[in-house]
Amino acid sequence: MINLTRRKFLQYSGAAGAAIGTGGWAGLASAQEPLKVGVVYVSPIADIGWTKQHSLGVDAIKAEFGDKVALTVIDNIFMPQDAERVFRELAASGNQLIFGTSFSHGTPMQKVAPRFPKVAFEHCSGIVHLANLGTFEAKYYEGTFVAGAAGAHMSKSGKIGFIGGFPIPDIVGPANALLLGAQSVNPDITCNAIFLNSWFDPGKEKEAANTLISQGCDVICSMTDTATGVQVAGEGGAWSIGYASDMAKFGSGKQLTAFTLDWSSDYVGAARGVAAGTWKPEARWDGLAGGVVKMAPYNEAIPADVIAKLKQLEADIGSGKVHPYAGELKDQDGNVKVAAGSVLADADIRGMNWFVKGMIGKLG
Amino acid sequence: MAAPVIATVLTLVVGSLLFATLGYDPLVTLQAFFIAPLNSLNGLSEWLLKASPLILIACGLAVGFRANVWNIGAEGQLIVGAIAACGVGLFYPNPESPILLPLMFLAGACGGMAWAAIPAFLRARMNTNEILVTLMLTYIATLLLSWLVHGPWRDPAGFNYPQTALLSAAAMFEPFDYAYRLNASVFITVVAVFLMWLFTDRSFLGYKMSVSGAAPLAARYAGFRESSAVWIGLLAGGAAAGVAGMAEVAGPLGQLSPQISPGYGFAAIIVAFIGRLNAFGIVLGGLLMSLLFLGGEAVQMNLGLSAALTRIFQGILLFFLLAADFFIFYRLRRIPEHA
Repeated sequence: MINLTRRKFLQYSGAAGAAIGTGGWAGLASAQEPLKVGVVYVSPIADIGWTKQHSLGVDAIKAEFGDKVALTVIDNIFMPQDAERVFRELAASGNQLIFGTSFSHGTPMQKVAPRFPKVAFEHCSGIVHLANLGTFEAKYYEGTFVAGAAGAHMSKSGKIGFIGGFPIPDIVGPANALLLGAQSVNPDITCNAIFLNSWFDPGKEKEAANTLISQGCDVICSMTDTATGVQVAGEGGAWSIGYASDMAKFGSGKQLTAFTLDWSSDYVGAARGVAAGTWKPEARWDGLAGGVVKMAPYNEAIPADVIAKLKQLEADIGSGKVHPYAGELKDQDGNVKVAAGSVLADADIRGMNWFVKGMIGKLG
Repeated sequence: MAAPVIATVLTLVVGSLLFATLGYDPLVTLQAFFIAPLNSLNGLSEWLLKASPLILIACGLAVGFRANVWNIGAEGQLIVGAIAACGVGLFYPNPESPILLPLMFLAGACGGMAWAAIPAFLRARMNTNEILVTLMLTYIATLLLSWLVHGPWRDPAGFNYPQTALLSAAAMFEPFDYAYRLNASVFITVVAVFLMWLFTDRSFLGYKMSVSGAAPLAARYAGFRESSAVWIGLLAGGAAAGVAGMAEVAGPLGQLSPQISPGYGFAAIIVAFIGRLNAFGIVLGGLLMSLLFLGGEAVQMNLGLSAALTRIFQGILLFFLLAADFFIFYRLRRIPEHA
């Protein structure tokens, strides 16, 4: 399904880069100077949301290294034109490890990284690997699968609602998993999906949440960078599912759970690697097992036996016993995309641009 | 010309107070803000790279603004210009052809002009408000771009992410030096500034446009047609914005994605007014705006100041500029109470 012929994707496995990388990093190990780390955030750090969770990862570096690390943080860099300048500047000013935290940082990082072969670059939600550019990403779909199961247990109408930022695979896949998780409890459940074409547009998100409620959805999951979905759902009497941060305090007591992101292991792991001279460009992709995706405390309104089932589901996904994208999977038109007995390949998960049967709505 | 100087001095004073209140040494901060970004060749290259589209678009817009034709939608015209140029770059049969870049230039200009022609037609024929129409067309342009990169133009090898394939080398401006990002598109801006000066200061048509802006009734009495001012004003802005969009796609971006402009189309409106709608003033205004962006990043990186400070700083500058204007053009006078 995915054409990997383009040169830049040849290195998707990271193997080519790793071989070149290992030779060049030993020199850093002996340095006594503090480790210089640069981080570029896509938005300002708020109370909750995407950038907040990344800042917690950076805090973990601070906690681990103390005064042995010098951090340079710059926020609110979204556009590629600006990002390239910032990455170049960070690399030129002696940072040994540089993090980009948004997909939009990818192309600029790919341009800057080859010019600074001694600097380690780590790109969150990236897809391209170079000799000194690694990526890390979360298996959001593991979280939405569990959240979907929780929603199905609590839904009376048999309809759940999903609000997404952009119809990109990182959002479409988790939306599918939300419904698949729900269908694992109640096979007839459906999911209405709306895309905002923005990560941060509380006005539009409120409208979307109200639309979903009026369509009869009584569980709403919003994958954007605000708590608006959780808030509006709570005000409208619907259950909600938070994303990135625990949004319980915004949900009028109606947040069922949230699939939160904890990048600490990625941040600290990369920093340890660079400090020890063993850093390699990897494609790190962890979920519930690695602790990058964590379920927020379940709502007390969920019966105890259901909570026990959900926790078991978390453990089973972590151990690989349950795979969210296990066949048989059909698309919206009923075509079989994954045969019974097999699971969706990793590359196809990263490139998912189709809705599973039961999703109501269009991509884009 | 006194107003910009007064405004700059006042901005520096208030800025220093602001930094001092926040606990930063004002001199060190101002140095990091205004000097440090420019003390390397890379810094200068980045400065011009960021200023170039602002100046280019502001020149085009100012032609209209002088005739009271309010084109607020340069952002949309930039996007359509970028779409047109990138379309040529992606789908021209021979991706190595040396005429590819000139064709993209033409496509960018035509795309921007076509988008500006819609409000021009509506204003000239039906007297619609061009402020609203140009602004609303910006949203349509954004959605058009979003549809293209999510749909028909999506890179088939791009994991379904909403972006086009990268343009071929022949479809991109080559940087002067691969260590820096500045490229030949900066010469387009130089030519545009010169053309704008020629038009506004040295041509009869430019004079007519200024008259119809300053005194519409007098212009009509003298036989100047308002509709031609509308057409020229909007098409000039559209062409400049479209070319700026082309230069972004063929320069720092190399591809289309759902968002391609860091608000250049809107920032250029400010630049046009900082520059007094005058060619050389616009050059200074564009350089200043771009330096404010770079300086904001520099103080954040070097001193850990918040990014919001850049905007506050810009706000202070614009505020003083307007205020200085007001006090130069108007005199405050106590009016004695009537007995």
